[in-house]
Amino acid sequence: MANIVKTVCRILLPALLLSACGASSVVISGSFPTPNIGKLPLSLAVVYDDTLEEFTYTEYSETGQEEYHIQSGQSHIELFNAILPAMFDQVVRVDAVEEGAGAGVDAIFVPNIEEFQLALPAKTRLDVYEVWIKYNMRLLTAEGDYLADWVLTSYGKTPTETFVSTETAINAAAIVALRDLASTFALSFAQVPEISDWLASR
Amino acid sequence: MNALEFRETGQGKVGGPLLLLLALTAGCTSTTVDEFRQGDTGIESHESVVILGRRQAGNRETSSDFVECVGDRLAQGMDGLSVVPEQEFLDAMFPWFEPRTAPLQPEHLGRLMVEEQVALTMRDFGVRYIIWVDGFTETLNRVGSISCTVAPGGAGCFGYGSWEDDASFNAEIWDVENYNGVGQISTDATGQSFMPAIVIPIPLIARVEANACQRLGDQLKSFVIGG
Repeated sequence: MANIVKTVCRILLPALLLSACGASSVVISGSFPTPNIGKLPLSLAVVYDDTLEEFTYTEYSETGQEEYHIQSGQSHIELFNAILPAMFDQVVRVDAVEEGAGAGVDAIFVPNIEEFQLALPAKTRLDVYEVWIKYNMRLLTAEGDYLADWVLTSYGKTPTETFVSTETAINAAAIVALRDLASTFALSFAQVPEISDWLASR
Repeated sequence: MNALEFRETGQGKVGGPLLLLLALTAGCTSTTVDEFRQGDTGIESHESVVILGRRQAGNRETSSDFVECVGDRLAQGMDGLSVVPEQEFLDAMFPWFEPRTAPLQPEHLGRLMVEEQVALTMRDFGVRYIIWVDGFTETLNRVGSISCTVAPGGAGCFGYGSWEDDASFNAEIWDVENYNGVGQISTDATGQSFMPAIVIPIPLIARVEANACQRLGDQLKSFVIGG
C-alpha cells in the first residue's frame, strides 16, 4: 500500500507541478451569422484538409517557452459551413479533391490557413489583443484543374478589460478575425479576376 | 496599524477635512456637449434608430458597452425612441457593416441600399437614422501609491491614489431615407477620481463615461426627435 502511495506521489506530484507551468490551451469557439447576400448559381464541393482541420498556433513567451496553444481549425470549418450555403446554390463536403468529380458540382473549394499571428498587450504595450490570419484559397474545376488561387487576410482585435482572462480575450479577437474573413470572402469572391472571368464564361 | 498611529499623532485633524474635501470634489465631472446640425430631423412612431460603434482605428475601438448605454438612454422615458440593438443589427446585416466593409460616408449608404437584401433588412428594422459613435475613455495622470499589509493581528492599507479619466466621443447621425448626414454631436467629459486608504481603501470615483453616455444620449434624443 505504501508503495502504491509512493508511486502515485512520484507520478502525480511532478505532473501537477508541471501542469502549473505549462502552456494554456485555447480552443476558438463562437457563433457566426449567415451572410445577407445573394446566392451565386453554383454548386460547390468543399474540402477541409487535415492541415486546416487540425490547425493549431503556438505562441511563445519572450524566453522561448510555449505560452498558448490556439486551436482554430474547427472554428474555421464551422465558419465556412455557415457562410458557403448562403453564397452558393448547393454545397457538399467531400474528403478529397478526387471525390469532387463524382459529386456533380461546378467547382471545388479548398481553404487553408497559411499564417497566424497573435499580439498580446504584455508584448505590444497596447490595450488590445490582436489576431491576424493569412489564408490561401483555391478554387478548382470539378475535375481538379486549377481555376483560381488567391490570398486573403483577416484581422481581429479586442480591448483589454478588467477581470477578463487572456484566453477569453484571445478567443474574442479570433472570432472578430473570423468574422472579418467571412465578410471579405463573401464580398470579394466574385471579384477575384480568375473567378470573375470563369463566371462570365459560364 | 500604521493608520492608527497616523490618527493618534494628531495628523487626523488634517485628515478629516482632507477626506471631506475629497468626498466633495470626487465624482465631480465636467462634461461639454457640442452639436452641429446639417439638416432637419424627425422620427415617426414606426421608425427606429440604430447606434453603431466605429471600430476601424488601430489600437482602440468604441466600446460596445458605451454604445449600449447610449442606446438605453435613447430608449428611456415617455419620449423614448425605438432602438435596434447593435449586435442584432450587425448580425442581420452581415457582412455589410463589419469594420472593414462598413460605409464611412453617408453618401455610401446609397450604394449599399442598391443591394436588395440590405434594403429589405433595413426596411424590416424600420431604421430611419444610423448613429455612428466613435471614441474612447482614457486614464491620465495616475499619481500616488497605496500599500497594504497583512499581519497576524489584522490587515490594512495606507496611502493615496488619484487619476483623471477623459471620455471623448463623437456621434454622427445619418438619415437612411435621404442618404445624407444630418448632424454631429460630440461630448467630452473629464473627472478626477481619488482613492484614500486609511485601513480600508475608499474609492471616490468620478463617473466620467457614465456622464458622457447620459449627456450624449439625451442630446441625441432631442436632436433626432427634431427641429
